This record gives sequence, C-alpha cells and structure tokens, in this order.
Amino acid sequence: MTMPATLVVRESTAGEAGDSSSAPVPVIQASGRLDASTVSILEHALMRALHTAAKVVILDLSEVTYISSSGLRVLLTCRRQLRDRRGDLILCALSQNVRDVFDMVGFSALFGIAESLDQARQMAAGYASG
Amino acid sequence: MIPRRRMVAPARHDQLARLASFAAAAAAEVGFDDLQINRIELAVDEACSNIIDHAYDGQSGEIAIEISGERNHHVLIIIIDQGKPFDPDSVQEYVPTASLDDAKVGGLGLHLMRQTMDQVCFEFGVPGVGNRLTMQKFVRGR
Repeated sequence: MTMPATLVVRESTAGEAGDSSSAPVPVIQASGRLDASTVSILEHALMRALHTAAKVVILDLSEVTYISSSGLRVLLTCRRQLRDRRGDLILCALSQNVRDVFDMVGFSALFGIAESLDQARQMAAGYASG
Repeated sequence: MIPRRRMVAPARHDQLARLASFAAAAAAEVGFDDLQINRIELAVDEACSNIIDHAYDGQSGEIAIEISGERNHHVLIIIIDQGKPFDPDSVQEYVPTASLDDAKVGGLGLHLMRQTMDQVCFEFGVPGVGNRLTMQKFVRGR
C-alpha cells in the first residue's frame, strides 16, 4: 500500500489595497510534508513568484510538518536568486520540526526568519521602502 | 524489546513517506519523543533518497528496511539495497555557514544522517546481502 506524501501550497500577495508604491509581495503558504517527492510543488510556486518583478517573497512554513534536504536545497537556491535582485526570501513561522532541521544545518543563521506572517510582511515592507 | 519488523519498497521517491513512517512507528514504540522521531524519519528519508538518486540512479530496484530495538533504550535501523556502492568519504563534507555565498548543498543528506543518529555505518557489497546501512539511535543519545 502506498502512502503518498502531500504538500499543498496557496499563493497570494501581501500589501495594502491601493498601495502602488511597490510590486506586490508574493506570499506562499505551504502545508504538509516537504521531501523529495513533493518538493517540485513548492519549487514551481517559488518559480512563479520569481517570474514576477517582486524583490521579496514570503514563504509561510507554519503548516509544514517535515522538511528534508530536498526542501532545504530549493530554499537556498531561491534565496540566492532573490539576493541577486537585491531582494530576499523571508521565511516565517517555522514549526518545531522544521526549526530543528534548520538548526542542524545552520540555515537558521542563513535566512531571514519571521515569527509570524505579520512580522514577515513588516520585514518585506522594509525592502520596499529601503 | 520491540518486535523486529521488515518492509520492502520500490526505490522511488513516492515511497519515502511510507519508509519514514515505518521507522517513525517503531521509534514511537521504543519511546522517543516527537522531535527525536522526526529526526529518525529524516535519517531514513535521507538514506533512502541517496539510494534512489545515487545507488539506483534512475534504475528500478528495491529498498529493504529492518528495524529492531529496545524500549526506552535504542532503535536499530538496517537499510539494504542492491544498487551501486559509493564511498561516503568521497562526499564533500557539509559545513554549516552563515554566508550565503559559502553555503553548499553537497553532502547535506549525509550530514543530516550523522547529526540525527548516534551511529551510522556503511557497508558495500556484503556477500548475500548487498549494500547495508546500519543506523542506531539511543533514547538518551543526541
């Protein structure tokens, strides 16, 4: 019996209605298990965000219960691409399991990590105004 | 002791969650807490991903996982494949860094296996067995 892993992503944008001062910030909310069998789902969502003019992308990981090295690689690649356009990938609301893996590989010091989606939006706004 | 158990799965990425869950259930029986169970799942996932991506390298094959252990003491996980052997010492060592320029992804899986388990032992071309990875984790270990 096969028990497929599942990962669901929801894509939206952050920013006040009527605020035309900067490009909307893509917000990707992922939920489920992020491993080699599901990572392409997140990768495609991140690629869609990278194809916009956005300098900053917010990735909400609050409902990601598991991450393996496959997921970590995609996050690192995406952050590098955004850094090249003087932007950033802002991660937010890491679960205990994900935070533990981040700590083991040193990613906690490598990424901007917000405690909540609201804090991530504030961090993103800093890029827009900076 | 917990009952010894064995599972064989096709060497495919869509089997990773199943293999990891099999190990997680045994780890829960041993008495590991949720964080340690996640680490054991991760070690099995990374080991099996390496087998799928490198040992079988796109070819079909099987992964066998055997688990035993002692309650409130340890879990012993043996993973067997019939793919190509590799030299773990040839894999570039992953070194955590705070620099985005210096960050490398090579060796990440092996690093996680060694970070999460107390013992990791590779044997290749074992007669009558194949490639055998033995991982052990103690309840009061790392």
